[in-house]
Amino acid sequence: MSPPSAVVLAAGEGTRLRPLTTHRPKPMLPGAMKPILEHVLDALVDAGLTDITLVVGYGRNRVQTHFGPRYRDVPLRYVTQETQLGTGHALLQVQSAVDGPCLVVYGDQLVDAESIDAVVTAHGESAEPATLAALDRENVAEYGGLIVEDGRVREIVERPRDDRHYLLNAGIYVLEPRVFDAVRVVDSGHGEQSLVDAIDRLIDEGAVRAVRTDGLWADATYPWDLLAITTALLNDGRVADGVAPSETGGIDSSDGPGSPTIHETAVLRQPVAVDPDCEIGPGAVVGPFVALGENVTVGANAVVERSVLDRDTRVGANTVVRDTVTGVGVEIGSGSTIPGGPGDVRVGEQVHVDAPLGALLADRVTDGGGVTYAPGTVVGAGAHLATGTTVDGTIEAATEVRS
Amino acid sequence: MCGIIGYTGADDGEQVCDVLLSGLSGLEYRGYDSAGLAVADRSIAIHKCEGEVTALEAALPDGSVDGAAGIGHTRWSTHGPPSDVNAHPHTDCTGRIAVVHNGIIENYRDLRDALSAAGHTFESETDTEVVPHLLEAALEGDLDDVVRRTTTVSSDDVATADVDVAGSTAVADGETTEADGDSADATTVREAAFRRTVACLEGSYAVAAVFAGDETVYAARHESPLVLGIGEDGHYLASDVPAFIEYTDSVIYLEDGEYARVTPDRVAVTDERGRVVDADIETIEWDAEDAGKSGYDHYMLKEIHEQPAAIRGCLRERVEELTGSIDLSELAALDRPARVQFVACGTSYHAALYGAQLLRDHGIAAQAFLASEYAADRVPVPDGTLVVGITQSGETADTMRALREAAGTGATTLAVTNVVGSSAAREADHVVYIRAGPEIGVAATKTFASQQVALAMVARVLAGSETQAAVESLRALPDGIQQVLDESLAREVAETYLDAEAYFFIGRGLDAPVSREGALKMKEITYKHAEGFAAGELKHGPLALVTEETPVFATITGDDDAVAKTLGNVREVRARNAPVIAVTDRPETVDSDAAHVLPVPSLGRELTPVLANVQLQLVSYWSANLLGRSIDKPRNLAKSVTVE
Repeated sequence: MSPPSAVVLAAGEGTRLRPLTTHRPKPMLPGAMKPILEHVLDALVDAGLTDITLVVGYGRNRVQTHFGPRYRDVPLRYVTQETQLGTGHALLQVQSAVDGPCLVVYGDQLVDAESIDAVVTAHGESAEPATLAALDRENVAEYGGLIVEDGRVREIVERPRDDRHYLLNAGIYVLEPRVFDAVRVVDSGHGEQSLVDAIDRLIDEGAVRAVRTDGLWADATYPWDLLAITTALLNDGRVADGVAPSETGGIDSSDGPGSPTIHETAVLRQPVAVDPDCEIGPGAVVGPFVALGENVTVGANAVVERSVLDRDTRVGANTVVRDTVTGVGVEIGSGSTIPGGPGDVRVGEQVHVDAPLGALLADRVTDGGGVTYAPGTVVGAGAHLATGTTVDGTIEAATEVRS
Repeated sequence: MCGIIGYTGADDGEQVCDVLLSGLSGLEYRGYDSAGLAVADRSIAIHKCEGEVTALEAALPDGSVDGAAGIGHTRWSTHGPPSDVNAHPHTDCTGRIAVVHNGIIENYRDLRDALSAAGHTFESETDTEVVPHLLEAALEGDLDDVVRRTTTVSSDDVATADVDVAGSTAVADGETTEADGDSADATTVREAAFRRTVACLEGSYAVAAVFAGDETVYAARHESPLVLGIGEDGHYLASDVPAFIEYTDSVIYLEDGEYARVTPDRVAVTDERGRVVDADIETIEWDAEDAGKSGYDHYMLKEIHEQPAAIRGCLRERVEELTGSIDLSELAALDRPARVQFVACGTSYHAALYGAQLLRDHGIAAQAFLASEYAADRVPVPDGTLVVGITQSGETADTMRALREAAGTGATTLAVTNVVGSSAAREADHVVYIRAGPEIGVAATKTFASQQVALAMVARVLAGSETQAAVESLRALPDGIQQVLDESLAREVAETYLDAEAYFFIGRGLDAPVSREGALKMKEITYKHAEGFAAGELKHGPLALVTEETPVFATITGDDDAVAKTLGNVREVRARNAPVIAVTDRPETVDSDAAHVLPVPSLGRELTPVLANVQLQLVSYWSANLLGRSIDKPRNLAKSVTVE
């Protein structure tokens, strides 16, 4: 049997991850050193899929520019969802591009090749219109729950609150073309069509099978999830293309092409992932559980722990950065301190108490040095914090915070 | 005239056509006003037509083409308007010889007159058509007669081509020409005829020929690019690698004066005297993938968005901020030059203006010259001069000619180019690659930014003035461009002024070349009138054209005296009621004088103009897009201009 066409839903903004998503869609947020979507594509390619369509929309330039026409020698087709009217609506955009069954995954959920392979194989053996992956996990209440009996899905429930035994919907589906008809008649409210609601209709027809899988799975819903995803990836040893520096650092550029510039007195505490374009100054201590994206600079004697610093971020000398997520081009000035989580973080209308977040600094936040960040501080894109200020709570984009 | 391809080794004609068509699509950036192909079997099948390669594809009859070897051409008119008749391939009187050619045959009138006098009939207005007729004459033993009728070719010239072709013997062993039981002797005769014909040609050429009943492709080059591809299912030749990268990444770059005989079994390269050349087989690292649009409507917009990545590539492993060092190993053997002369054309010339000014900032006397005027300008080249040729493709004929002239005077030469293995890279004493990756859109965007960055590094290395601050700015540039891309309001500006009669672009100092480039982009893709000049020149004439219907884009970056002066020029414009669009890193200073502000981050005097240029690229792109222009293939333009 030839492998099915793969469809990756990557058009969503991810409103709960604002302000990180000011200029890019949620799948392009970093998981360790590369976008989450890249890990998803890795899983698809590793599972042997050779026909991949990306549904793009919000911030699609970022996706298209990053991946180009091919990924790891597999051609990528881009289909644009002009308005974001739900995951089902997104899938409808590709109907003309796929032929036969298609494998559908989300661009912002980490999955592994083994799980994808398991669903594809199981679907090939059954005659049902839909097959999906189910995981046995503790925290199903946060995500999608499945009631499964004899390998057949009986119910699918978003954020289940009752105490029945739910499996986690891993968001890996193989669907026969009739799913398009199911999507078309779904009304998920607000003019949207949800893929899960369409699958719910198929469940009513008794037509959805579940495959138990037990692989890597992680979802980015809240900013601190990016820290958890990076930790999972580093623990899992899945950080490809990174360097594997020695326990005490001491890599220098003479190691040949493609290694970061790390001063001999700097220390890397494993596990860390450092992009080859990075520079780390003397006496700096980086790690554990740190990912430095392209062209990140860490100044002398800085301490960075449990953080994801996205590309072009600059950490000044003598800073302390813990439990922090930065967007691109962030500048943390010399002597600034982010002591780390937990802290209370407002996401939309909701306040999350004791969230494991030191600070979230969106794209191109700059601080003048000597700034102190209370746990859980969220700073909007382009804001500037003057030298010596102390900040907490949520700071809107492009704000000038004066001392 | 522009791109050629040749292929031999397929089992059937369909496959030959597929290879030729996909090859021509890969070469369309070199020209696209007509296209054609020829496949050799017992006879030769020729299909050609005016228009793009897709038109040719549509015109091909299904399943009727047979043969193992073929050649193809996508044309950009230099002699004769685009038409079916003028499209390549061209044939002789018998229709048993077909030829494609890129370049200009300067003595074609003389050859054509002589051939006509000898009884040959011509169908097209092209210079190329003399080649198949010369081949016919050579095979018939009439070439000496034709040569006697010419004024530009002597029988001695032709006699030098009569060599013992070492390569042919080697090839002949394994060769089978099943089509009509043709013998190996026949191919040796054809090769001799091909060499005698090429010896008659003056000018620049990459030329390829096929003959009825022969599965060999014969080729030669002189001052026009030609590269051979070594594949598993046959062998290829083309003007550029993208034509066959889909099939093979093993290539041989042919040098001037070399001949290639390509058969399904092997490729034989020989020099002018017939000796076998032990050519290096190189592996191409660019992916064919880079040739796709990946969801963008146009290559131009894709390439504008690729600029942050392109610049990261240009800087990679060359700069180190901790030590403030810039390492261009390619320049290690170069001392600080007494003076520098840049030669370049078009967008590359604007990069040259920028580079020359940077060098002058560091105290090195530097000037930029239009390559096409360099000879006519009779520029003195004193000892200790470094001549820098800037050419994206590395094949720009005017720039190559200027570089060769400079080398002839004993000057040291440096090529700044994007194409590894290009003529410029191979001929210059030194080469710095800009590493922008392939650029398909005819309007240069990312390669201009990468040229600027490469020149900023070259200037500092030559002057010995690398600093930590300079490296910090360079490393901040990719994100600066990303910020412009994220936040630009260029589309709104383009919409606002879409009905304008003309656009003017002004700037001073390092902003002046950016203004010229802004105008060039605008005119080449919108077909609207646009002019760019140094801001101070406005009042010396062009101001007469400024009205309320002519928006003026003022690029104002940095913090020196120039800003105040340019603001003075802006007020001159405002006094004529022209709307001013300021592209600036100092919006608060210019706000009151501008109708629109396109802000850019501030990265210092040297690099902020690179950011300003991105805003202007976007304004041009959106203007052309809203006007429905053919953005990636503007009329009358070709990507790589390999004629002078």
